[in-house]
Amino acid sequence: MDLAIPLAKTGVISDAVNLWLAIPIGFVFGYALFHAGFTDSRRIAWAFYFKDVGVPVVMFSAIVTGMIGLWGLSLIGVLDITLVYMLPTYLVPMAVGGVLFGIGMVIGGYCPGTAIAAVATGKVDGMVFVGGFLIGSLLFGDFFPVWGDFYNSDYLGAFRLDQWLGIGLGPMVLIIVIVAIAGTVSMIFVQDFVWGKKDTMTKSRPFMKLQGALVAAAVAIGIIFAFFPTESFIDDTVETPFYIVPRADVTEVAP
Amino acid sequence: MKFGTRWPPIPAGILIGVSMLLAFVVAGRGIGASGAMTRLVAWVQHGLFPAATEQSAYFGKYFVDGAHPLNDYVVFLLVGLLIGAFVAAWRSGELRLEVLRGPNITTRNRLVLALAGGVISGFAARLARGCTSGQGLVGGAELSVGAWAFLMCVFIGGWLVAWFVRKQWI
Repeated sequence: MDLAIPLAKTGVISDAVNLWLAIPIGFVFGYALFHAGFTDSRRIAWAFYFKDVGVPVVMFSAIVTGMIGLWGLSLIGVLDITLVYMLPTYLVPMAVGGVLFGIGMVIGGYCPGTAIAAVATGKVDGMVFVGGFLIGSLLFGDFFPVWGDFYNSDYLGAFRLDQWLGIGLGPMVLIIVIVAIAGTVSMIFVQDFVWGKKDTMTKSRPFMKLQGALVAAAVAIGIIFAFFPTESFIDDTVETPFYIVPRADVTEVAP
Repeated sequence: MKFGTRWPPIPAGILIGVSMLLAFVVAGRGIGASGAMTRLVAWVQHGLFPAATEQSAYFGKYFVDGAHPLNDYVVFLLVGLLIGAFVAAWRSGELRLEVLRGPNITTRNRLVLALAGGVISGFAARLARGCTSGQGLVGGAELSVGAWAFLMCVFIGGWLVAWFVRKQWI
């Protein structure tokens, strides 16, 4: 396959251009984080009390958009999926890290990206959170030999949900779309049930119409995916099709 | 239709998804925030203790062959993120120094908890090899098993301790 995308991996653009293009991409990310309301620690933390479930809804929407775009471009033969980097799975360390991360999020009120965005908008608690985050990263790195073995344990390689469940990629995409919608609807239901029907999610009519249309579009695309012969382009019988960082790069062993 | 300052969640999420998709298309990788912060502490520590940092089992990889830890994709992304959030807040007239907190907590206690939460998340993001964006959103879109395990565990962890810090938020 001689596809042009991803641009930096196929040599269409140089590494230097790729670096500079990261700034406008980051700009879009930061711009969207602000307008999602994610520079407000209260709004992020309220997700854990179902007081404002905007956070998971935004996350579901972002994941579905990225998923449909990535796999869709690959299916129509525009993007070479084997050149897209995927973080390999280290299941138990990632799960334990996730639990700790969630604890840090509800105590601190931010996650790294949102805290940086909050710093840019003048939120002092965001600045203090970032300070703490840097200390936490430093502690992890400097005492790495203590938890290095655990960090590198339970390595499963680049491992996708469809491979895990033994189903096709297309149906998996549809399942994620359905999970995202079901998750959104059930969380809004819990929010209304616990906190009353107070509007914390911009529920005005034109917005709801727009969002309904977007959800319907996602479902339609998901159904197309489910019936698309994805086996033709992903051959999982060969070694994992993903570009993975060489093992030596990710499995630093404690001295 | 004008969205105003706080957009409805689905369009906001789609724009975040678009930024992720742009990174896939241009760079062949996703977006992320925590990696740049790790590189920042590695760089600062290298300024103070160069030899020890280069030999560090974890930070050493950032200095292989004289590499500069800040000359990396994730750092440029973070610069863009800062500018993007700044411009968005400025255009919305929301640019001001303030401490965000619930009605039942003092400013001092809020800042203490922000610091504590930061330390825990900073450690956790390294252990999980990424944060909500790099690990959760990007890995989620790539259908990675590890990313979905991470995302579910984030909410489990948050719910586990939410009750104990409720006075901070509600």
